Amino acid sequence: MANPLTLYVPIKQDAVSQAAAQLAYQNFVKSVTTGLDESAIVHYARVALIPNASGQGTYAILLITTFDGPMNPYLGFFWKNPSTQQAFAGIAAIALTPPNPPVKDLTGFENFINKNNLSKSASPGKPGDLYEAYTKTVKEITSTAKELVLPKQSV
Amino acid sequence: MTKTNNNSIPDKSNIQGMILRGFTHPYSCHLIFQFNDKKGAKSFIKSILPYIQSAESWGDLKPDIMLNIGLTYNGIITASDLSETYLEYFPNSFIEGPTSAGSQGSLNDWGVSDPSGWAFGNDTDEQHVDCVVHTYALTSEALALIVSIVSDAAKANGPTEFLPVDNGTKRLEEYALMPRNVVHFGYLDGIDQPDLVWNDPADPNDSGDLRNFLIGYPLSDAGPGPTGDNPAGDFAKDGCYNAFRMLYQDVKAFDDFLIDNAPRAPKEAQQTPEYAQEWIAAKLNGRWRNGSPLELSPNAPDVATSHATDFGYKGDTTGMKCPFAAHTRVGNPRDEVLNPSEPSPVPRLIRRGMPYGAPPTLKSYDGERGLIGLFLCGSIATQFELLYSWMNTTNFANSFPTQQGQDGLIANRDMPGADRSYNIPTADGSITIDSLPHFVITRGTAYCLLPSISTLKSIAG
Ligand code: HEM
Repeated sequence: MANPLTLYVPIKQDAVSQAAAQLAYQNFVKSVTTGLDESAIVHYARVALIPNASGQGTYAILLITTFDGPMNPYLGFFWKNPSTQQAFAGIAAIALTPPNPPVKDLTGFENFINKNNLSKSASPGKPGDLYEAYTKTVKEITSTAKELVLPKQSV
Repeated sequence: MTKTNNNSIPDKSNIQGMILRGFTHPYSCHLIFQFNDKKGAKSFIKSILPYIQSAESWGDLKPDIMLNIGLTYNGIITASDLSETYLEYFPNSFIEGPTSAGSQGSLNDWGVSDPSGWAFGNDTDEQHVDCVVHTYALTSEALALIVSIVSDAAKANGPTEFLPVDNGTKRLEEYALMPRNVVHFGYLDGIDQPDLVWNDPADPNDSGDLRNFLIGYPLSDAGPGPTGDNPAGDFAKDGCYNAFRMLYQDVKAFDDFLIDNAPRAPKEAQQTPEYAQEWIAAKLNGRWRNGSPLELSPNAPDVATSHATDFGYKGDTTGMKCPFAAHTRVGNPRDEVLNPSEPSPVPRLIRRGMPYGAPPTLKSYDGERGLIGLFLCGSIATQFELLYSWMNTTNFANSFPTQQGQDGLIANRDMPGADRSYNIPTADGSITIDSLPHFVITRGTAYCLLPSISTLKSIAG
């Protein structure tokens, strides 16, 4: 079963934090690709910068992913992986409200992600907020895709 | 990243006993409470604290009565003086508790196990648990004594007790006639446990290292948490989490299943109908009911291997000896090659549970029976819940691209998308069971911290 994460983090307004947000946005795909590829559980991940109402600068960072299985047991993987750790720690560092506890270890990371997650996974008696068009996992999809690659024709 | 707290060897007299050793007292009762207020919670703990058993050796004088104490996050809020800032230092899965969407992503207590039907521990005000007291005794009279000490202390100080069982004393207690280390489906249990070693330097491939369970001595920034020289780290140091779960076992459904499916066992297992049933039971668990692992004794149980723990699954990539979804193969896949997102080495759990209810052989007993599950860990999310999620959806290993049904014994068959089928590879082709029944149903859960004795003393004041 896939689950959603919608990480919504209002950020500081000083020039350094604002520039860091821009940089995080621009480098996002490049910086997380290795980690997410390795995990083989993330379907899609994207980031967006929410502008201030004035139209000047960024109000918040929004990171949206859909992944296979439960979230908390796998945060360890994303914390251990240097590329994803850096991406998340970077967001935590410019958060308007400094994370409590600080994001210095896996517990801090687990708490930061959960506190700022706007999504709800379905659980017994409580509906979730994710629509799924299919139930296949990344692993199933990619292994089928590999099987479908036809052998090269000799010319 | 920071490596926190000092790394000196812990003092056993400060650690609750059950963390380091499985108590072998023949009688135990597990009392579940909700506190009334801070003052009452503190004086309740103070009045039962003299009976607490630490992890220190008791030498030749095995105590007649003793207890260990667990506090949930709610219980810590009520009983302790930790400020809100530091309460937030506990890991999210402990804070939010077992009915949260996060934890249910792994536990999957759907349908028959829905928390709304639990006897304790769902997230309503009436049901929230603050404290679990684990009492142990050498005789039934001694058990009655320690139970009355605890329940009298509760009556005097305000905590309300949950009575979760539908018969007898209504408490979760071990039944005197139940054979040692045997669970209700007839299997030998308690065979393989983490070694809880403390080697310096630590072996990174040993997930049984005590520092992965005991809070305050982290080998890496992965925990256990809370870490650090701060009030939360100090409060939790020398403690360990206990995922406490009341798991009803449907012995009739299990026995009927074995009888119905025994004729499908291969010819070699059809010596007698009973033997064919044993064969099916072994294929669900990964060990024969006498304890022999299928990897070492694939064709028949063997006294010589009944307590064996030194084996792996690497040589059995087809599941021909042990099905991929057999309970012990999922609970501890050992050397199996796992998906890259899974941790390495495989996390372990300290299992300190015991059965409740009379043995199925006692025909006059018509009450319920099951497992009083005590699953001790340093991280609820990355140890207990991770393994639970594997049991519900067995897709964690590289050797199988798709899900392999569900854990043969304990998975929740009502979860959305559950693959209830069960595959037993044999030399003559696979035996596929279309739909496994619910053998195990959740009746209650509480995530507790088993705090250090100095922390309990500081709470008691
Ligand atoms: C009523 C429910 C359960 C029954 C009847 C049951 C039964 C058993 C049995 C018979 C064994 C083999 C004995 C041994 O290796 O020590 C075992 C092992 C084990 N069980 Fe369970 N179990 C239950 C629930 C659970 C739960 C909820 C978990 C945790 C998620 C769990 C985790 C394990 C683990 C980790 C092992 C050790 C496997 C190994 O190291 O090889 N069990 N269980």
